[in-house]
Amino acid sequence: MILSFGIFILPKSTRYGYTLCLIFLMVALTSVAALFPHLITNPLPNLLSYTVPDTLSSFFILLINFTSATAFLYSGGYLKPYYDKQTSLRWSVHLWAFVWLYISMILVVLLRDGYSFLIAWELMAVSSFLLVIFEADDRKVLKTGINYLIQMHIGLLFLLVAFLIAGKASGEIGFDGLKYYFSGHSNILVFCLFFTGFGIKAGFIPLHTWLPEAHPAAPSPVSGLMSGVMIKMGIYGIIRVLFSIQSDIFIIGLIILGFSLFSGIMGVMMAIVQHDLKRLLAYHSIENIGIIGIGIGIGVLGMATGNNTLTLLGFTGGLLHVLNHSLFKSLLFFNAGSVYLATHTRNIDELGGLGKKMPYTAAFFLIGSLAICGLPPFNGFISEFLIYLGLLKSFPESSLYFSILLLITLIGLALIGGLAIFCFTKAFGIVFLGQARSKHVENAREVSTGMLIPSLLASAAILAIGLGSVWFVKPVMNIASEISGANPAELFSGRLFETLSRISVAGGVFIGLVVLIALWRNLHLKKHTVATGPTWGCGYTAGDEKQQYTATSWADNFSSLANPVLGTTKRAVHIGENDLFPHKRHFETHPVDLFKTKMIDRPINAMLNLFKKIAFMQTGQIQHYILYAFLFMLLILVLTMFKIL
Amino acid sequence: MVGIPLILLAAFFFPGIILRTKSIVSGRKGPGVLQPMIDIRVLMGKGSVYSTTTGWVFRIAPVIGLATMLAAILVVPFAKMHAVIPFQADFVFFSYMLALGKFFMIIGALDTGSSFEGMGANREALYSMLIEPAFLVLMGTFAMLTGFTSFSDVFTAFHLSENPIITVFGLIGFYLLVQIAMIENSRMPIDDPKTHLELTMVHEVMILDYSGFDKALIHITTAIKFAVYGSLICSSLVPSDWHPGYQILLFFSIQAGFAIIIGLAESFHARNKMQKNAKFILTLTAVAMLAFLVVLIVTNKLII
Amino acid sequence: MFYLLIVLFAGTLVYISTSERFRSYAKLIAVQGVLLFAIALMELKTLDLGNLIFVSAETLIFKSIVVPYFLFRIINTTKVYKVHPKAFPSFYSLLFSMVGLIISIILSDVLKNPSLDAVFLMIALFTLYTGVLLIITHRRIFSHMIGFLVVENAVFFFSLAVGSEMPMLINIGILLDIFVSVLIIGVLMNRIGTQFSDLESNNLTSLKH
Repeated sequence: MILSFGIFILPKSTRYGYTLCLIFLMVALTSVAALFPHLITNPLPNLLSYTVPDTLSSFFILLINFTSATAFLYSGGYLKPYYDKQTSLRWSVHLWAFVWLYISMILVVLLRDGYSFLIAWELMAVSSFLLVIFEADDRKVLKTGINYLIQMHIGLLFLLVAFLIAGKASGEIGFDGLKYYFSGHSNILVFCLFFTGFGIKAGFIPLHTWLPEAHPAAPSPVSGLMSGVMIKMGIYGIIRVLFSIQSDIFIIGLIILGFSLFSGIMGVMMAIVQHDLKRLLAYHSIENIGIIGIGIGIGVLGMATGNNTLTLLGFTGGLLHVLNHSLFKSLLFFNAGSVYLATHTRNIDELGGLGKKMPYTAAFFLIGSLAICGLPPFNGFISEFLIYLGLLKSFPESSLYFSILLLITLIGLALIGGLAIFCFTKAFGIVFLGQARSKHVENAREVSTGMLIPSLLASAAILAIGLGSVWFVKPVMNIASEISGANPAELFSGRLFETLSRISVAGGVFIGLVVLIALWRNLHLKKHTVATGPTWGCGYTAGDEKQQYTATSWADNFSSLANPVLGTTKRAVHIGENDLFPHKRHFETHPVDLFKTKMIDRPINAMLNLFKKIAFMQTGQIQHYILYAFLFMLLILVLTMFKIL
Repeated sequence: MVGIPLILLAAFFFPGIILRTKSIVSGRKGPGVLQPMIDIRVLMGKGSVYSTTTGWVFRIAPVIGLATMLAAILVVPFAKMHAVIPFQADFVFFSYMLALGKFFMIIGALDTGSSFEGMGANREALYSMLIEPAFLVLMGTFAMLTGFTSFSDVFTAFHLSENPIITVFGLIGFYLLVQIAMIENSRMPIDDPKTHLELTMVHEVMILDYSGFDKALIHITTAIKFAVYGSLICSSLVPSDWHPGYQILLFFSIQAGFAIIIGLAESFHARNKMQKNAKFILTLTAVAMLAFLVVLIVTNKLII
Repeated sequence: MFYLLIVLFAGTLVYISTSERFRSYAKLIAVQGVLLFAIALMELKTLDLGNLIFVSAETLIFKSIVVPYFLFRIINTTKVYKVHPKAFPSFYSLLFSMVGLIISIILSDVLKNPSLDAVFLMIALFTLYTGVLLIITHRRIFSHMIGFLVVENAVFFFSLAVGSEMPMLINIGILLDIFVSVLIIGVLMNRIGTQFSDLESNNLTSLKH
């Protein structure tokens, strides 16, 4: 950690390489520590409690390491154009913040003592704030960053209050004190406090309003890191709390499931109407947090009803989705960043035809899209499959209300999957396929190999988990059984691994079929004539790229269905019936985040209006302020005289 | 294992029977039952024309469409014989495999940069999104009824005539499967395969720019999709412990009956107004929930 | 057989919440009348001939023939064929209907009672919900009338649910049914129809002025 301060001292050109080595060193060290925890001796037993990671922490450490390493590799290429524009101090602050974000995340998953946990949490918030405002010359970016920082501190407040309440009863402020507190008092209040605090970080709706602003404002490797790993710290916190809950388990599970279903469906619905590529991806992170929450929620419900299968499959699915999401979300953000770097616009409606100019980026984005929609044979399918399996297996033995709950979850998951396909065909298709929709695309070129390698690594991991799911699910299931105390032996000896290995075989057969049919096709095309021509235009001679579908038109039939819920604003002057030669018209749609406007903007505006009314008291003249102080002292005197105070 | 050649054989005749039924009902004699297959053969003998706007996505999409269809057949059972690779919750795999095929068809259509195909792709994305819950709820109720989660196990344990309430459920399931099959293949009343006007098309307009070998692949995929749904219907109607000879006979007659029903429904139904389609597809989810209700009564969760 | 009829009835309710044409509403009311006749027959098989004729007359003749005849006459005279153009989107009516199905299942389980027949209770609640939904979300008076007729059917089911305890209740319920339907249709056909050819419920609020 001390070495990181060295970043400030070195000359500007070598700073990046130095940071790279530093990060890799730390990654290597912590990975070894995570994989072989028994090798660690505890060097500082007094300062930090528990630096020996348990299985959950090890899992998260490996996750953090992989994505941080790839994110930092990627940022090497991404930040190159900014090298000359940014001052030396800004550059080193950015790199330094990267290192500290990484350190703080590792500390968050390692520490259990309340105060040190909160310090690490705060460190994480501050360092990510510094990373987000990299382009602080743009006033909006600075404002977004400050909004983010404020929301993180609100979350910190909730966590502090929760820790203090639990600590007062048990005398120990920290995660370990929770068990003692929960056995004696009602679990719900403190759990809700924790859920709110961690939920703001994770991005559950309606606590999510910082996410869609912060992710587009930050540079892409930072967005990838934040979306892939940092918001999972919220999930980590919730799971840590779940280790200790003793009573009210059913209601807690219901709360988690309810918020997650809501976040999942609303998140992807709001993603569909966005036309900024990174905002779209940010809303998708909210949706995936919803899916993770669904897994965890049904796991908790399984704990409440004593249904071992549901518990294990739910938690395993949720945890595996944490890993999967970090992989494919970082992949998607990296490639979105490459697109931005090449075309200098994030607006989907201005892109198009990039598949020809940036073939590798397009291919990686496609892999990421397929994985995020949960399509086989990639990893997203495996985690969603586990959740489905848990739901379906629990149907026969559940009561009436529980069956209805399971039914609603099933419908919700199916809807989320379908909506995600709707959204990502738009994102991939309109950005990379078809013809260019504006001049921004003309100078786009493929990015450097250095920027492609992290995508390659992530894609390899995605495919590996998708095809070789058995090896990945087993350790995750062990973690799940630790959380819930359920015994996985029944599932292990049962047909679960047979099921997973058969899925892998089926996936393999599918890939084999693709190869076979493609070979047949190539053979066939060699024997026959292949010609090219323009796309069929139904006889329109003046058709051009403006007649293609844009992101807004793609989302239109969906948003007209969902209008009461989404509130997209449309401003247009319609062409009248008798308008034979209409003048030029203007059409504008703008997606609106209803939660932001109703929950955040309205109260803030009301508060500002109130403050404006009493602003007359700030006259700037010191005599008036002394008068105020004197009046206050008089008031205190009067109140004490009448014994009110 | 036996199921796969049977499904492929049924797929051979399926589109032809639909076409012949429609022709006879409209008073014509109509083409032969094998005509669509002859068309495919003709297409295979032709070369291809590709649009200059398209890239590799356009070219790979029909290949992936057919491959997903064939991979999905792996989990479909026949009678008492299990499927090739059965596993628990394999209908989720089935559903998502088909969704993968649709994903690629949609982006293949977007690759041409044409507004026609964008229109079809857009509608296809919306309708496939709305149909997902219906299929999964139906299969979920099957799972709740029989206690198993794999196609093979479910259909082995499902006995239609065991109980009059189960017969009611079977009928609802039959109706749903027929409707889902018709929507997945973009038939009436969602989409009219005979019109070629872009305002009224969903599937036909997505494949507008394909020619030759690719178009042949797409037709093969559609035929197999019909046959697979027919096989599911057959498995749900015919008890699995009958003699294999009867099974095979009933299989082909049910497939033929299914094709005739589709032909009749297409001849007598008008296509829905495009804005009404979304509501129509959601109705199927509501009917699936009704089926869920019936099964709740059967399994005594809802105490009568 | 019995459950098939119940499921078909629930199906007609789902169809009513999605459809937008008045003729469909009238046809569905007729279908519901026939289904009610069949259900009533199966339920009351222990009765004598008089009761049987009475019940069948009410359901079959009144609900399936007389009322739809009048409905079609209203449609043809006022020439209003569809719901209001700016009506509540039918997609959302369908969503609400689905939610209603779940709520009625849960409610009928909560209100479990040995003297109540749970299936009838559940379908009665669902019918009530659909009828009230029709009345609340539609703007034209015709739809309100259809909603009221559906609520009538719900009352019939409620009376069947407690019918095992009080057999006369069914007959009384049927009489109420006839009485109120005649009142509404008579009033609507003769009085309001001649004054307001638009049949918009908003106009009724200006009646006071």
